[in-house]
Amino acid sequence: MSAKGERAGTLRLLIAALGGEGGGVLMNWVVEAARNAGHAVQATSVPGVAQRTGSTSYYIEISREADEGTKAPVLSLVPMPGRVDILISSELVETARALAAGFVSPDRTTVISSTARVFSTAEKIEMGDGRYSQENVTRAVEELSHENMMLDLGQLATDNGTFVSATMFGALAGSGTLPWAVAQSRSVLADKRSMAGFDAAASAVNALRSTSNELEAARSELPAELQNVLDLGRARCEDFQDTAHGELYAERARTLIGLANLDDPQCANAVTEAARRLALWMAYEDVARVADLKTRPERFVTIRKEVQLQPGQLMTVTEYLKPRAEEVADILPARIGRRIMTRVERGKGLPFLGRGVHLKSNGVMGYWMLRAMASLHLIRRRSLRFGEEQEAIVVWLEMMQKALKSSPQFAEGLAELPRVLKGYSDTLARGRIAYNRIVSELIRPAMESGDLEPVAGQLRAAIAAALADENHKKLDTVLAATVSNSTVNPNNQEATLNE
Amino acid sequence: MEVSFAKEIEKLKLGDGEVFHGEGILAVTKALLQSGVSYVGGYQGAPVSHLIDVMVQAAPQMSELGVHVEPCTNEASAAAMLGASIMYPVRGAVTWKSIVGTNVAADALSNLASPGVLGGALIIIGEDYGEGSSVIQERSHAYAMKSTLWLMDPRPNLESITNSVERAFELSEASNTPVMLELRIRACHVQGSFVAKDNKAADISAKQMLAEPAPHQYEQLAHPPVTFGHERLKSGQRMEAARRFIADNNLNEFFAGKHKDVGLIVQGGLYNALIRALTELGLAKPDGTCDLPIMALNVVYPLVSDEILQFTADKKAVLVLEEGQPEYIENEIGTILRRAGSDTILAGKDFLPMAGEYSSQVMIGGIGDFLRRHLPKAGNQLNDGAYGEEVEELRQRAAKLLARPVPPRPPAFCTGCPERPFFAALKLTEREIGKVHYSADIGCHAFATFAPFNFGNSILGYGMSLASNASVASFQQKRPLAVMGDGGFWHNGLLSGVTSRLMNGGDGVLVIMKNGYTSATGTQEVISSPDHDLKLESAEKSATHGETTIEDALKGVGVKWVRTVHNYNVALMRDTLKDAFKTGFSGLKVIVAEGECQLERQRRIRPIRAKALAAGQRVVRTRYGVDDETCTGDHSCIRLSGCPTLTVKTSSDPLKTDPVAHVTNGCVGCGLCGEVSHAATLCPSFWRAEVITNPDWFDRVRAKLRNWLTLGALA
Repeated sequence: MSAKGERAGTLRLLIAALGGEGGGVLMNWVVEAARNAGHAVQATSVPGVAQRTGSTSYYIEISREADEGTKAPVLSLVPMPGRVDILISSELVETARALAAGFVSPDRTTVISSTARVFSTAEKIEMGDGRYSQENVTRAVEELSHENMMLDLGQLATDNGTFVSATMFGALAGSGTLPWAVAQSRSVLADKRSMAGFDAAASAVNALRSTSNELEAARSELPAELQNVLDLGRARCEDFQDTAHGELYAERARTLIGLANLDDPQCANAVTEAARRLALWMAYEDVARVADLKTRPERFVTIRKEVQLQPGQLMTVTEYLKPRAEEVADILPARIGRRIMTRVERGKGLPFLGRGVHLKSNGVMGYWMLRAMASLHLIRRRSLRFGEEQEAIVVWLEMMQKALKSSPQFAEGLAELPRVLKGYSDTLARGRIAYNRIVSELIRPAMESGDLEPVAGQLRAAIAAALADENHKKLDTVLAATVSNSTVNPNNQEATLNE
Repeated sequence: MEVSFAKEIEKLKLGDGEVFHGEGILAVTKALLQSGVSYVGGYQGAPVSHLIDVMVQAAPQMSELGVHVEPCTNEASAAAMLGASIMYPVRGAVTWKSIVGTNVAADALSNLASPGVLGGALIIIGEDYGEGSSVIQERSHAYAMKSTLWLMDPRPNLESITNSVERAFELSEASNTPVMLELRIRACHVQGSFVAKDNKAADISAKQMLAEPAPHQYEQLAHPPVTFGHERLKSGQRMEAARRFIADNNLNEFFAGKHKDVGLIVQGGLYNALIRALTELGLAKPDGTCDLPIMALNVVYPLVSDEILQFTADKKAVLVLEEGQPEYIENEIGTILRRAGSDTILAGKDFLPMAGEYSSQVMIGGIGDFLRRHLPKAGNQLNDGAYGEEVEELRQRAAKLLARPVPPRPPAFCTGCPERPFFAALKLTEREIGKVHYSADIGCHAFATFAPFNFGNSILGYGMSLASNASVASFQQKRPLAVMGDGGFWHNGLLSGVTSRLMNGGDGVLVIMKNGYTSATGTQEVISSPDHDLKLESAEKSATHGETTIEDALKGVGVKWVRTVHNYNVALMRDTLKDAFKTGFSGLKVIVAEGECQLERQRRIRPIRAKALAAGQRVVRTRYGVDDETCTGDHSCIRLSGCPTLTVKTSSDPLKTDPVAHVTNGCVGCGLCGEVSHAATLCPSFWRAEVITNPDWFDRVRAKLRNWLTLGALA
């Protein structure tokens, strides 16, 4: 085998990008620069429908020597795994894709990768956190590349008012891997913004090459994290209702901590997670809470920043609200709330509700309407939902206490369980169904049998399954497996026989 | 049209001796002009969309040479255009994506090939096979054989490609037969160089009109009884003439090598990948100098028996490298060798895989095995397995380090695409009435087959969705749904789908995406594209709103139930869909889902806005956002949208571990987020900001008043 590690023949450059990002523009710049520098060059791509935000790649081959005599080299149109000299990528998971396909070799490949993430649909649609591990990609690049430069080329582009193609080109030129001078590359650019992005990336890459990678920041110790969660949780509950609510939170959390052996990392983890979930649960989002959050001055500061409001520009903010009878019942005193819910269950609603409202939260009318809604927190303690949530929280806390005493591993799972209770309206309703099913079909039987440890894994799986899809198809499978695995209760067996 | 080729069009004017640098498909256009064509046409589709775009954009320059340019409504009409060359000595070329386009063109091609041509007739086909392909995997080669058309597959460098275009016309005229020239995806898009020649004006063209039509010659009609004579001509006289021309003009290339006992026969288009594989094996140098003799077939049909026999004459064995299945070339070579009583062993698909692309990696394995068997002295020294092992090890190490499989990233609807809201509405409809049978089609809307929508029970071809569920309706309680784009509707859907359903009095629901263009291929125009006036008039609104060609056509053929709904009205779309599935009206129900292609709309709006901003006029920009504090991170909104700018980020709330929804600055303010959160009763986290640049006095007074009356809370 001749080619392994040998830097003869052509320089082979693979560009990994997303459709519509300007990878073709970058390819053409490299081709033009190569030609101007007197190198034989060929480039190609497979655009097709990949141009519509799908992952795509471009491939360039360049003769290493300028003007190589008369016989032109035969350049290939397709990259070969393990035979790529430079991989330049606009996005971190696209880098991972090239790694997975075997294009990156420690013998020859310089990886220049943006650390920016554009999340794929598969990562976004999960109900929990479906994001791909960036640490793993970074580690894989470090281990499998000959040389690597990783920096946020997307941010550099935004900072310079240009597109990622310009910063990719700058990083490539500045990396010292092309057989011609940086200025030769820069000269093919026509507009100032591209040049600015190019320059910024070229010098950023240079800086990377001269300094060694900093060590990873040490992970914070668990007790400190627990303290942090406790402080945040207490503040959250105070902000949600009042000091007493905050105090109640602290007391509940202390009870759990009292039962846990914090030297056992699993135990500490379970308590921290429980404290986190408890805070979020105790500060649930009802109409008053949403209206309150939407009318805070700091929110408008955030929005101004997000829309990049310039001096002299004005802005209006419109909210999309669709309160149904259920949400109104939630915040009204329990007795009235229940009566409304009975109507709802009979298929009747309340007049004027259930249709979408466009409300200008920074308009006079809209602002005061939202403030009025926010003031409903004054009667929240007596409201239907407050009572229901407190009841459910108490039940969960009791189970938590039992679990912490007998199985820290199970407790870790149980602490995470309220995570399935999220969203609004239908989404929340589906979450509650999943929650109740996991409790009644998995947790209760385990608690009754007294042996929690063996079920810990199934609990984890059930939570993940509940977050995996909206129709609870996965949850059905996991719970069904749990039931069939558990030892058959003789009474049940009889019941089955009798049927 | 999506891409502007203004700069490239200048290159079409290059003269003798000047060097052309550019894309393969543009080089082909230049070669057509150098060949003196009188007319060109075609139908768009990757990888030859650029060829259509360039021809249309260069129409003024082409007309200087008298060249008639016609973007056709489908490949059948493009193929039929070549009919001009049957009776007149004019050269013409058409292009399309294959295999699908050739399928559509097949009827015209048969009827063209039978009488044969007087003037050179060339079909440039983008062979959409292998990596990056968007269609079923079949070979165009079969059409060449069954209709007796010649098929060229040149080496993938611009010199060879452009030379082949010019030779193809001569071959066509020498043998009175249309020629197909196939270019794979990467060859269409290859950036390279060649030395140009002067363009040639045709003797007969739009500039040099004929006074009289051709005489009536019954022999030139594809009609019995002369078709029987045609068949003999095709396989006899014309085939012989073609073979003679191919041999006399050295269209196929022979490369010498020191190991004379064996040889490789390769399709021209695979030559570069073969050299790379041989370089890896240490059997060739980067400049192409090779230890093994190679015969590169730039013409893959017909083969010239004498050439094959000459190449194989003193060889123990030859290996045929032929991509795709079945192995037509290998079979034909086998017949040639057998008939000649040759002892040379024929190898091919027994060493190489039957299906799939022949990358260098694939070839390395096949060549290694072949040489070990038939040239052990060289074969036993090869270390061809090492490469495969090396790649496998790299992949395994990467997989281990990455821990999880890399998430797929298929193409998706663009930001602000008007088709996305329709699928959100359909998802909401199905929540109420249950799943329905969904016949999908070709076009951007096929992206709805991917997550988060996952729609579709079948895809039967371009414009065929309605026709494909004609019998499904007969055994389904719920009416089946067919979705097609306006591109598909005009390409085939109106006739194959709508009129057939009407004639049979069938039930069903058809949705036509009226976005104004064939957008998946790069926003080429269709007959119902909004005209210039309509675009001006609609300014920032959807320009397809006032265009009613589709509705008129539907009513004209007799559709009684037609509703046009703007896609962004998600709730109305959902209700209209429900109505279509539930109504007592039995018969075809058509919903025209209207919303201009966002790519085209943005292209129109950007200059309008830039002008207004420069002039200091009041301009309002809309974008959406999500409140971090109220978003619970359940991502229901994303499952109903899939917009690239609606993404996730780490919550600014340290208590929340799951990422929250987030709208990036790429948001074009299409309105879907708000509509969906209403229609689906999602959550209250979405907000819409209207940013007013150059506010007028009324805006300013209002802002001041607001500030006072909210006690400065918003300052």
